[in-house]
Amino acid sequence: MDNLKITIALIVAVLLQWTLRNIAEPLGYIDFPLIIVVYAALQRDAIKAVLFGTFAGVAVDALSGGLLGANGFSKTLVAFVVSEIARRVYMDNVLLRIPVIAGASLLDDMVFYGLHRLFGQEPTAPVVATISYSLIATTIAGTIIFLLLDFILSERVRKPKREMFPTRRQTRRRNPIRLGK
Amino acid sequence: MTPWLVIVLLLGNFILMAFDARQIDSGQRVIRVWTQTIADFVQSPVTTLSSSISGYFGSIANLRSAQSENDALKQKVQELQVELKQKDDLSDENARLKALLGLRQQSKINVLPARIIGRDPSIWFDSSIIDKGSLDGVKLNMPVVTDGGLVGRVTAVGPLTSQVDMLTRDKSGVGGVIGEIGVSNALGVVSGTSKRDVIEMRYVAGSFDVQPGQVVYTTGQDGIYPPGLKIGEIVEVISGSATTPHRIFIRPSAGLTSMQEVAVLLYEPPAKSEFEQKLPNAVKK
Repeated sequence: MDNLKITIALIVAVLLQWTLRNIAEPLGYIDFPLIIVVYAALQRDAIKAVLFGTFAGVAVDALSGGLLGANGFSKTLVAFVVSEIARRVYMDNVLLRIPVIAGASLLDDMVFYGLHRLFGQEPTAPVVATISYSLIATTIAGTIIFLLLDFILSERVRKPKREMFPTRRQTRRRNPIRLGK
Repeated sequence: MTPWLVIVLLLGNFILMAFDARQIDSGQRVIRVWTQTIADFVQSPVTTLSSSISGYFGSIANLRSAQSENDALKQKVQELQVELKQKDDLSDENARLKALLGLRQQSKINVLPARIIGRDPSIWFDSSIIDKGSLDGVKLNMPVVTDGGLVGRVTAVGPLTSQVDMLTRDKSGVGGVIGEIGVSNALGVVSGTSKRDVIEMRYVAGSFDVQPGQVVYTTGQDGIYPPGLKIGEIVEVISGSATTPHRIFIRPSAGLTSMQEVAVLLYEPPAKSEFEQKLPNAVKK
């Protein structure tokens, strides 16, 4: 059920990315698909995250003037890196996720720009300003969207009674480090 | 399992990029065409809704200045009517003179109005999606204009929508002339500079006198754009010498970032001669 919800969130994110820049130019700086890809990667399901990264990236590239596959490449890479970090470091805290979104946005933009330079395609936007604005906008929007997704996907919404009596065993199972995953 | 999947996906994306970079100036990209068609079902309603909402609030805001604007417009209409009469007389005279010289009048280019329904989802580029496609007669490389001047060309055509690349893209190239064709010989190539509001004209000989404020038009020699379209106004000139060309910076006359409506010129350039097609660097079409 959670997988379905995150998939729907990804589709909505791609649709927002397709349409919002035409309504207001500054909204183009928010990378909605990246936010969902990072969220999926933080769930420690690397396969789902990288598939989401490729799908969202190619969907954005297809309507963009840039190279087809550049966003797909960068988002797949970001998804893999974040999911690997999430497997090793405890990141269920909202505050810890903020630098993760910022780092993911920075890495995504730098890889995207680097790939275009590699293929001799110069983007029309100024590099430093675009990366900076994108980092700020994506981090702020990402933090809010993460809280929203946590609320939608949390067990509290579905099973309010179980949350009141959490057992020690269930709590330990949620920690992947101890299980050596 | 995961590292292998990542490698396969990254490799797949890399191949897509390599293929796309090779085909960027010609040919149709199937993935883009079909994604555009799917996106149209979302983009068109959203654009219609947002433009009607902003139009409603805009009309309320503009109501205050409507009276004074109305008076100014009435005066302007009268002035334009006088000007139009003079132009009609000149046009008639021109037609008579052409007939006298035995010149055939060039057929007018059909214009297809279109609405911008989507902008580049990536903030790095400035392409736009318009609501006219191959079913409306749009073809690859057709020029796109506004009432201000040249915007760019069609780079992907779906059945219902098309993608338009702007002049500001660094890979764009337009044959340009400073001033009117036939009057000026200051020819060059106008291309993007990777900046959103400035394009550059190259290869204009340093011996020509070029000043900021002069207007640049298309020459029609590039095989894509018809001659006489306004490209923009010169804003800066780095003067060349007898042996080095000028570097000329132009501000596009079409408001590229704020436009909502454009027009596609249903223009197909004249076919190249057999001799031109045999040249080693010629595009074979």
